[in-house]
Formats: sequence, structure tokens, C-alpha cells
Amino acid sequence: MIHARKETTGREMEEEFAVLTGEAAGQRLRQAEPDAGGIVPLWHDVPSLPAQAGDYYGLALLKEPVWIWSVPAYFYMGGVAGGGAVLAAALHGKRPLRRLASWCRVLAFLGTTVGPALLTYDLGRMSRFLNMLRVFRPSSPMSVGSWSLAGTGMAATLALLQGDRPSAKPANLATALGGLMVAGYTGVLLGNSANPLWQDRRRLLPLLFISSAVASTAGVLEMMPLDRKEEGGVQRFGMAGKAGEAACMLAMEHVHQSTPEAATAMKKGKGGVLWQAAKVALVAGILVELVPGRSPAKRKISGALTTLGAVCLRFALLETGRTAAREPLAATRPQRRKMGG
Amino acid sequence: MTTTITGFFTDTSVCIGCKACEVACKQWNQLPADGDFFSGRSYDNTIHLEATTWRHVAFVERGVSLSRQSTARPFSWLLMSDVCKHCERAGCLEACPTGAIVRTEFGSVYVQPDVCNGCGYCVVCCPFGVINRREDDGRAWKCTLCYDRQKDGMEPACAKTCPTDSITFGPLEELKEKAKKRLEELHRRGVTEAYLYGMNDEDQPGTEGLHAFFLLLDRPEAYNLPPAPSVPTKGVGGSWGMMALGLAGMVAAAVAASRAGGEKR
Repeated sequence: MIHARKETTGREMEEEFAVLTGEAAGQRLRQAEPDAGGIVPLWHDVPSLPAQAGDYYGLALLKEPVWIWSVPAYFYMGGVAGGGAVLAAALHGKRPLRRLASWCRVLAFLGTTVGPALLTYDLGRMSRFLNMLRVFRPSSPMSVGSWSLAGTGMAATLALLQGDRPSAKPANLATALGGLMVAGYTGVLLGNSANPLWQDRRRLLPLLFISSAVASTAGVLEMMPLDRKEEGGVQRFGMAGKAGEAACMLAMEHVHQSTPEAATAMKKGKGGVLWQAAKVALVAGILVELVPGRSPAKRKISGALTTLGAVCLRFALLETGRTAAREPLAATRPQRRKMGG
Repeated sequence: MTTTITGFFTDTSVCIGCKACEVACKQWNQLPADGDFFSGRSYDNTIHLEATTWRHVAFVERGVSLSRQSTARPFSWLLMSDVCKHCERAGCLEACPTGAIVRTEFGSVYVQPDVCNGCGYCVVCCPFGVINRREDDGRAWKCTLCYDRQKDGMEPACAKTCPTDSITFGPLEELKEKAKKRLEELHRRGVTEAYLYGMNDEDQPGTEGLHAFFLLLDRPEAYNLPPAPSVPTKGVGGSWGMMALGLAGMVAAAVAASRAGGEKR
């Protein structure tokens, strides 16, 4: 049986009266207590209109990454270690580039020893860092990466101890194989997440991390004293990396079609600033390198700019991911569109 | 002898927003209070599921009436007790590098607190934004589907305390039958908005079904639920493939660099 609905009762409040539109309507709510940790942001502007069925009071749906500065710092170190390991293996046995190869071995060693320390520093329970090697889980890029990092660390230590004698070839090759994984898995790790920004760019992230690893390895080597031949080698390696990194960064910005909501996170706040800084430093590094003429100063400036850009890029990825996680529509709208409605 | 797979069916059409589930969960699991944050925009001052908040009641206030509901003005108030979904394909479980997160004999997803080292990877891999790392203790925590109570043959604290039986606990297959019956009943009464969220593989292919599923009366987004969540691992193959491609380029760049030295030894 259907009830006839009354038009009015004469007692209901005018809805307009409840909407705050005056000059004082933009008051900010003072929090009863400081937002401890601030993992999920609490909004401060009080909307006085009922919630629209697009989100839940604009609250975040996903959790922000809880990682601290040491994780992007490791992303950089790991990239340099991977690039160094691969270059060291390629240069092994090339007499004129002996000095360069030994530096690469040092980079691979440093990255795979300092890197795990940085990762351990981020853990909630540092004393349990060895639990990373408790199981091997192929479905988890972090598990794959932990094993790669541990193996590469051992191989890099061995390669460093053996130096450039011919018998060190196996150790160098093993380090390079592990180094390839270490340079690339971080991109897969970020892509294999529920974060709308990272997930949407899961195909690009590995390429970005790898090309940036090549560029940042070259960036460190460019800041060293090099002779003509060494310089030629480093510049070939670096140019490939920088070109790839620039292309990937461009692509990262232009994968808008499916997730415009997540893409805006790359322009906002701390992450946006870091992303722009990474872009500017990378382009500046390339331009300085393209200036005609050879001079150590020019090369060192270019290397420093590339390094700065690579570090900013890692921090930008984490920060933009944080911003994207705070935006509920970035998570729900792409899913809606895929459902077709 | 196999144990029965159990789960939650949360029927939001009978939830009265009393938050007894939140309190019972906090008490049984001895979780700390959330502080006295006052949201000032609805009766929801809990805001979201957290490492120390494993049940959260959402209060959705809309300027639209439910069908067959008569109010002076178009208005409806939807309530829903949210919880970890214990997905069939769980993002947190597949991401956990230490093996701390396991599938229990009851089919639930459980974080072993004596193994978790707080790497934080599960936090970014949960498509529902459920699990989180506790600041004070450094480990990831979420609903355990009262593993300890189930071990002793008791039902979870929230389901036990729910005064309207909005939260029902039991063998998953029985719950599914019950949910279908309830949905039919509501549709028969003319509440056509009602639907089941994430009950099985067809409803939610991304997670292959939830062990804690819901009957909802509005789009999932209104309750801060994702409309089509997916476990991140689906589609990670493409990332590994692109990585292999990129690494080939990296090797090529290194070989090209090694040629710069000119003559071979």
C-alpha cells in the first residue's frame, strides 16, 4: 500500500537557513588535540551541506604510505648501486677503464650496504629486519627485492674484494644480475600497490626507475676526476639514462586519460614542487652537458644537477603518492569508469 | 577434518548506528581509545578504520529518500558498520614480505604480531584502506575476525554485541544464503536500492569475493567503499615485463659505455 505523501506540514525548517554562506562561514575548526602522526588527514573546513553521494564527506578512502625519508633515499642509493654493478661488469677487463670499473664496484658495494640500513631505519620494528628473509614470496615485489638486495650485497662485497683480476668475472656478473633487479624492482614495488597514482602508472614506473638509476650512476661518476676515455664512457651511459628519464617523466605526466584525479596530485603541494624540481634539475643537467667544449667543471656541474634531480624524483614519487591517497575520488572514479557507469 | 570457512555479513538496512560493535571490539582486543576528536559534521567521530580501530560505523546523511520511506522532506540516514573485508585475494597478504600475514583455518586474513616488522607495504597495498601501522608500536594491525574467540568456538565480539543483528557471523556459505534471502525480502518490500557488496567473485572480481560482505542501500562511494577494488597483484605481470625491457636497455647502455675505452685488452 502506498502512502500519499503530504506536500508540507507547515513546520519544517527552510533548508537554506542551515547553509552557512556569510562572511564567517569559512571558519576553521580548531582541533581538540593535535593530529598525532597525521597519517590520515582530518579536514578542517566544515561543510554544512549534506554529503553528496560521490564520496564520504571528502574523507580519504585509502591509507597514505607510512614510509619516511629513508625509503626514497634508499630508492636513490639502490639505483646507483644497480647502475654501478651493471657498469662494473661491462667494464670488467677493459684495461683503459680500470679505474672507472673499480669506482663502479665501490658504488655497488656502498649502495647495497647503506641501502638496507636505510630500509631498516624505516621499519616499525628495526630489530626484526631479518624477517625480510624469513620467506620468499614471489607475489610481493618487496620480498623479491629484499632477496635481490641481500644477494647483490654479498656479490658486491666479493667483487670489491677481488678487484679487477680476471678471476673476478663471476662475482662481477653475479653483482650485475642482482644489480639489475635492485635497480628495477622498486618501480614494480610502487606500481604493485592500491595507490591510484602509482597503480595507474605501473607500466611506466619500472622504466622510470631504471633510466633514472642509469642517469644517477653517471651523475655520481661525472663528479669524479676522469680522463678522456673514462669521460666518454660515463657520458654515453649518462646520456642514455638522462634521455630515458626525461621521456619517462614526460610520460608520467601525460597518462591523464584514465585518472585525471590522480594526475592532479602531481601538481599539488610538496610532491608537486619536488616533481618540478626534479624536472628542472634533469633538464638543466642535460643542457649543461650539451654545452660544447670539454671541461671538468662543466661535467661536475652536470653530474651534480643530475644527482639532485634523481634524489628529488624519488622524494616526489613518495610525496605525490601521499597526496593521491588523500583524494577519495582518485581511488573511486577510475574504478567507476572501468565499470562503465 | 577441515574447519569451516567463516565470515561476516553486515546488513546495513537494520544498523542503528549505536557503535556497540566499535566498543566491543575495542574492549575485547584491548585497543586504545581514539581520543576525543569531534568531527562536527555527523555522528561519525571515528572517521575511518585504523590500526587501533577495527570496526567503524559510517553515518551517511542524504537529501534523498529511500523508496517506501515517508519523510516530510526528502531525507534518509544510512548507517554501516565497516570492518576489514578479509578478501579472498588479499592485497595485504600478497604484499607481506615477512610472511606475517597469513590465511587462517577460518579463511580470515590474520597479521601475526610476533612476526610483523612494520615495513608498511601492506598499508599501500590494501585497496580498502583498512590496515595501518601503529605509530607507538611499529607494527601493522587490523581486524583478526576475532581469531582468538573463534579458536574457543565463540563468535567475534562485534557480532556478539550487535543489538539488531546487523552484523551476523557464521559459516560463509550459510551467510551467503541468508544474504540472498534478505535481499529478496527487501526487494519484495520495494526497497529496490538494496544490493549485496562483494559477496562473491562475480560481484567483485578484483578481490574474488569478500569474507566480510555487506548489504548496502547506496553506491559504495557513499560509504567510502571502493566500487570495484582489485588486488594490486592482478596486473603486476605487466610491470615485471616492462622492467625486463628497461633492464635490456640498461645493459645495452653499459655495453656501449664500455666500448668508449677503444681497444679491447
